[in-house]
Amino acid sequence: MEEISHIPQITLNLLGFNLVFNIETIVMTWIVMGILITFGFLATRKIAFVPNPFQVVGELLVSSFYDLTKDALGEDMVKKYFPLICSLFMFLLLSDWLGIIPMLSEPTKDLNTPLSLGIMGFCIAHYSGIKVKGIKQYVKGYCEPIIFMAPLNLIGELAKVISISFRLFGNIMGGAIIILVVSHLVYSLILPPLLVFFFGLFVGTIQAFVFTMLTLVYISLQVK
Amino acid sequence: MLNTATYISASSFLGAALAIGFGAIGAAVGEGYAAGLANQALSFRPEKSGDVLKNMLVGQAIAESAAIFALVVAILLLFSTPQPKTVLIAWAAIGAGLSMGLSAIGSGVGAGLPAGSACVGIVRQPQNANKVLTTMLIGSAVCQTPAIFGMVIAFLLLFLDFSNMPVYPGWAALLGAGLATGLAAGGPGVGNGLTSREAVTGVARNPEAGTETNRVMLIGLSVGQSTAIYGFLISLLLVFTGLEKSTSLSDSFRLLGAGLSSGFGGIGPGVGLGVVAAYACKWVARRPEATGILTRTMLVGMAVTESTSIYALIVALLLVIVF
Repeated sequence: MEEISHIPQITLNLLGFNLVFNIETIVMTWIVMGILITFGFLATRKIAFVPNPFQVVGELLVSSFYDLTKDALGEDMVKKYFPLICSLFMFLLLSDWLGIIPMLSEPTKDLNTPLSLGIMGFCIAHYSGIKVKGIKQYVKGYCEPIIFMAPLNLIGELAKVISISFRLFGNIMGGAIIILVVSHLVYSLILPPLLVFFFGLFVGTIQAFVFTMLTLVYISLQVK
Repeated sequence: MLNTATYISASSFLGAALAIGFGAIGAAVGEGYAAGLANQALSFRPEKSGDVLKNMLVGQAIAESAAIFALVVAILLLFSTPQPKTVLIAWAAIGAGLSMGLSAIGSGVGAGLPAGSACVGIVRQPQNANKVLTTMLIGSAVCQTPAIFGMVIAFLLLFLDFSNMPVYPGWAALLGAGLATGLAAGGPGVGNGLTSREAVTGVARNPEAGTETNRVMLIGLSVGQSTAIYGFLISLLLVFTGLEKSTSLSDSFRLLGAGLSSGFGGIGPGVGLGVVAAYACKWVARRPEATGILTRTMLVGMAVTESTSIYALIVALLLVIVF
């Protein structure tokens, strides 16, 4: 069971800095991106009144996330943010599901993936907040209800990044570890497929949705 | 004669007992609640016994999974024979037991609550049993997240190689890591249960608002887990921070204190966040057209409720990193 603590990585020395790359995560992320690009190509290649199966799935995803974004941000901002929200969900969903295929593993199991997506959401939310409200109103938002609360509000905002990324990481990593350990204990008989169904498909879908919804909610808290 | 191997096997037994002993508390309470409400439901409509029993058993099975995680950790502690390289493995075993056992309490209780209210809800609206069941499944599955965090820390403590860590103050870091996640997961587990119970009741009352209620429930549940995540963060920091050898007691208690601070600090806000989200779900189910304003108020209220756990997090971070 050495797999739990084993991380395949290479270190490059560039201009005096040590750059550490996690090979597995990079390869898996590229696989997810490849699948998504292929899916996007197949879904939009021949758009027809009687759609092909890929177009049906694509339309379902696009229309439901369009409505979700419209509910949260309103009619005027939906066009701008909806592509981000929809593609974030598709990326996370496929990333979480990738682990059910033997020999592949979830890129979200590595803290770097959720953390970078969380920081991305944080930056987008605050940039849109400053853009919509103006820098004065934005800074004023931190000094509520009284000015002494400003440091706490600041830490509260940073804690959001921690909680959103560690939630995804902990759930996916926990699922992967328990599948590994239980498979080891029962010699991969009977139980692992059920666990893969629960942790890989069910929990993975819920966590992908939660991450997407929280990013959307954090943006909407900033722009309104 | 006490040597390292004896210490390790003794503390493995202690860790196993702590894991399953604490781990059995929550799931039993939660399952009892589910079964009790199933009885109540059947007294209203005895002819629905098949549906209610099925729902009760599914809900209980999910609530039980917290105890099953604890059982897996206990069995691993009993039957794995680690190389007696360092006496730290003994402390890691106790930390793993505490982390898994304590974190299973809240999740076990929590996952039982939606199962109970789903039994009553199905009897009230038998034609919408599927919607109620879906909400219950999502709610009780998400309730397991704090226990999963505890399990991740337990497995890290069991399988990482600590031979490079100094024994002093390493013992305190490993024990503190177990306590941080274990204690902090208790509050959010129960809080998540309260939230999903109200959501299930709300969906059973007004199935047309099912989509809105589910969405608010998921947001509420996931924000409600923040305090468990802060404990999880402190545990990871304690396990992975490079420590310098120091025989001074204050260094050991600094690390133990970090674990206790974020652990205890997470309990109260965890329950409080669950209560906020529970009321939001309840009223979204009754007035789905007000979902927007209710969600925003819920999130603002949660941000304020959470502040005490952020104080605890700051103290813990100061203890780990600064001092």
